[in-house]
Amino acid sequence: MQNFEYATARSVDGAIQSSTSESRFLAGGIDLLGEMKEYITSPKRIIDIKLIPDLDRIDTSTSIWKLGANVTIAEIAKNERILATLPSLAEAASEVGSPQIRNVATLGGNLAQHSRCWYYRHRDLRCLKRGGSTCYARDGENKYHSLFSGNPCISPVVSNLAVILAALNARVNVRRGDKEIGLTIGELYSDAWNNPLAHNSLLPGDLIAHVEIPTQKNRSTYLQVSEKDAFDWALVSCAVAGRNSGDQWADVSIFLGAVAPIPFRVESPLLERGDLSREAIESIAESVVSKATPMAHNGYKVPIAQVLIRRALARIVS
Amino acid sequence: MGKDHLRYDGPAKVSGGAKYASDAQPGGWLYGMILRSPWPAARIRAIDLRPALSLPGIRAAVTANDPPFTVRYCGEELAAVAALSKQSGLDALRAIKVDADLLPFVVKEEAALRDTSPRVFENLPNAGEPREMQTGDVNSAFGTSYKTVEGFFQTQVQLHQCLETHGNTIQVTPEGITCWASTQGISSVRDSLVDSTGVPVDKVHVMSEFMGGGFGSKYGAGIEGGLAARLSKEAHLPVRLMLTRFDEALAVGNRPSSFQKVRLSANKDGTLVGYELEAFGTAGYASGGTTAGGGGGAGFPAPYIYRIPSTRVRQTTVAINAGSARAMRAPGHPQASFGMESILDEMALALGMDPVELRIKNDPSEIRRQQYKIAAERFGWNARYRFAASSEGPVKIGVGCAGATWGGGGHGSEAEVRINPDGSVEVRCGTQDLGTGTKTLIAIVAAEVFGLEPAAISVSIGDTTFPPSGGSGGSTTAASVAPAVFDACQSALADLTSASGISDPTGLNWRAATARLRINPVVARGRWKEGLSSRGVGGVQMAEVEVDAETGFVRVKRIVCVQDCGLVVNRLASISQINGGIIMGIGFALYEERILDDQTGIVLNPNFETYKLPGAADVPEIDVILQDMPERGVIGIGEPVTIPTAAAIANAVSNAIGKRVTRLPITPPRVLGLLGKLPGIQSTYKSGTG
Repeated sequence: MQNFEYATARSVDGAIQSSTSESRFLAGGIDLLGEMKEYITSPKRIIDIKLIPDLDRIDTSTSIWKLGANVTIAEIAKNERILATLPSLAEAASEVGSPQIRNVATLGGNLAQHSRCWYYRHRDLRCLKRGGSTCYARDGENKYHSLFSGNPCISPVVSNLAVILAALNARVNVRRGDKEIGLTIGELYSDAWNNPLAHNSLLPGDLIAHVEIPTQKNRSTYLQVSEKDAFDWALVSCAVAGRNSGDQWADVSIFLGAVAPIPFRVESPLLERGDLSREAIESIAESVVSKATPMAHNGYKVPIAQVLIRRALARIVS
Repeated sequence: MGKDHLRYDGPAKVSGGAKYASDAQPGGWLYGMILRSPWPAARIRAIDLRPALSLPGIRAAVTANDPPFTVRYCGEELAAVAALSKQSGLDALRAIKVDADLLPFVVKEEAALRDTSPRVFENLPNAGEPREMQTGDVNSAFGTSYKTVEGFFQTQVQLHQCLETHGNTIQVTPEGITCWASTQGISSVRDSLVDSTGVPVDKVHVMSEFMGGGFGSKYGAGIEGGLAARLSKEAHLPVRLMLTRFDEALAVGNRPSSFQKVRLSANKDGTLVGYELEAFGTAGYASGGTTAGGGGGAGFPAPYIYRIPSTRVRQTTVAINAGSARAMRAPGHPQASFGMESILDEMALALGMDPVELRIKNDPSEIRRQQYKIAAERFGWNARYRFAASSEGPVKIGVGCAGATWGGGGHGSEAEVRINPDGSVEVRCGTQDLGTGTKTLIAIVAAEVFGLEPAAISVSIGDTTFPPSGGSGGSTTAASVAPAVFDACQSALADLTSASGISDPTGLNWRAATARLRINPVVARGRWKEGLSSRGVGGVQMAEVEVDAETGFVRVKRIVCVQDCGLVVNRLASISQINGGIIMGIGFALYEERILDDQTGIVLNPNFETYKLPGAADVPEIDVILQDMPERGVIGIGEPVTIPTAAAIANAVSNAIGKRVTRLPITPPRVLGLLGKLPGIQSTYKSGTG
């Protein structure tokens, strides 16, 4: 990697003041150090945010939970409050990487991680996402790539947590200069839908401070299919969440991961009506097919997305 | 013998006391690293090392060849540097200026076969001369048989991915060369350094006391060893040059791919009568070279195992712009097994015959026919085979079986034993331990002869100043080393008997006998002899899988393995080695595949993130039945145990889903493809049960 300055921030304000257009924040370092070692990114300054007080806290004192950006994935996977109230979030966390990775990787880092596209990550290539002229994946080896994209780059979002947090209507609190802004998960990634160079909508110097998760949705689940049983990325992931009382369903949302540069919302009038009958589930799953534009090697993601939608909805209904 | 013995060097390994090639720290050592071609084909006109040499911390830089020269794959060596720190070395690699003309390239086998394809070597066609073999009368065999089945099977390029990467720490001085190597052959590393440097044999000292795995790719010092020696000579300092995980995916060998068009015919009673194979595959840009340990192209034994009177076989190796093959754990056999055992299961379906019965009918090996019966009983084959086809719900159960054959005999190893007057025993042998437990094996053999505990024997290996032994490959180490150690111990025991005057100095008499040696130890040398080892093993495996027919995910539930290995020396180590072979076979069946990009020629998965190896969660219940046949002597089993795993799993998946698996690895996308679930793509190949 290239030389860089190293700074340690003791507060969010301090981190923001220390940042420049060519600095990056360091928490777990899982994503950042990998990119630096491959010379994909070479920040001039690294600002360590691990020592900022309270960023590693989980606050469940109100109905909207507040998880600090430095909470580790391992903590999310094993936290008793989360396991009791939002087990789907713990499930998504437990599928991230390996125990070693989960022990150091953080919530903020997981949300802000960059593309895992193997063309993007290859040291000897300069693809569209790295400022080159070509998305090699479009005509190349695209089995891990997107079914949906609003731009020529087809690298998908791979954050498990983004998918379940989207379903849970979470908001991401970001410090941008002096301001604190709140982004929906959709807003956090929307730039990646439109702009091949973007991994998310964060600007240089933006710092994810914490994530707010409403707990009104009392039913949720997360499922993924990978090639291996553990320590593997999702080929497709699916999160659903909704409010249930008796036979009544409200606010049901379904998001797919690893099929688009953003957590991909599955929309249906049936969901809006709260209809989760067998027929409705079938019809919702079916609706995904017509919208997808499979490439040469990723068409299999369509049937996997469909079965995950069916299984996830069946699971929250049962 | 034949009992469970813990590893002699286990505590040293888990405590960090064991020193590997990269742990050697001769004074002043430098980091060596290699600049590799980012282009799949290029004419290298000039390499300017000066910008690298002018950086702080750089002590030497060399080019891999004198320009102009041609590179033929992404990852071919261009230059190397020796640096005081890792980072200064990385900076230096980036500073080297390479002037190159890019050439057209081809990285897909089918494309390379076309006349219009770019040539890997401009004066040679990509396709080599086919190897053809014929027995009997194939046309009439197919014409008169009761059933004929056919299929097209593909296996991928599998990488070695030894957990310890290839490399050496090398010190070149005017007095000679000292090399700490990660190797399967200290003698062959020494010889390759002699060849590449011109330093005489007596001045080259190679050591490898511990090493972290080798499956056929670690015989010579490698190009990386040659470069390290040149850097050391130039810098007048030792150089540690261990490859990176990235390098490992490109330049240190692999298992060739195979594309197998097979026809098989049989009589009504299941007797196989005709076999035809037309196959091609790639061993990369070349099939071997001096450091490759004999890659031998992309050919494989065919027909595999079974007795078939009329056969016609045509095999072609096609060159592509990719790193070359090297011998890899049972070279050729896993590919051969997948094609043969798959078409055999198709025949069983066509005949309405049980697959195990069909194998027993056609297998020439009495041992393997017995093994099928033992495995079937342990596995519960009869009940499970019928049950499998009828499993309901999205998760389908399937079972499959396959056999293996391997040689694994001994060769001319020597060993030396020294009995000291205080009763201590030292054994020295110039072999090396791939991780299979060679030191433990030596201790067990010596302890057995002397009536002592294995822990009482001190064992030294991995040094070219010790009595010569061979390379550790071809499943030959145990069968070579054990007889040599046994022979040395027998001689030493005879000497001790006469020197001590005690007629039986073993066991309880040991201390009394050795005390009579006063100050002169007994030193005896032994060598491998016929009669204490033999060659030729079978091996049968049965697999049970669960396939989620909606997601395509395959989970191996259970493998039953029946394996003969002659005399069992260390039961625990043997079973451990079998477990490892089976896990490697699971990787070949389900996960591992080198993926090349035909737009750029690069390897897209040069890491463990996307080159997927089985992890602990992917390992099934493994049930090993180890057949002890002491009368046959010692036989190695490193290789046979990985051969049939993938074929057995593929047959089990086919059994589960009612469609023939035709391509490895069996990933969720491919399973969904077989089931006709891909949008716009229908499955074209239908199984006999379908």
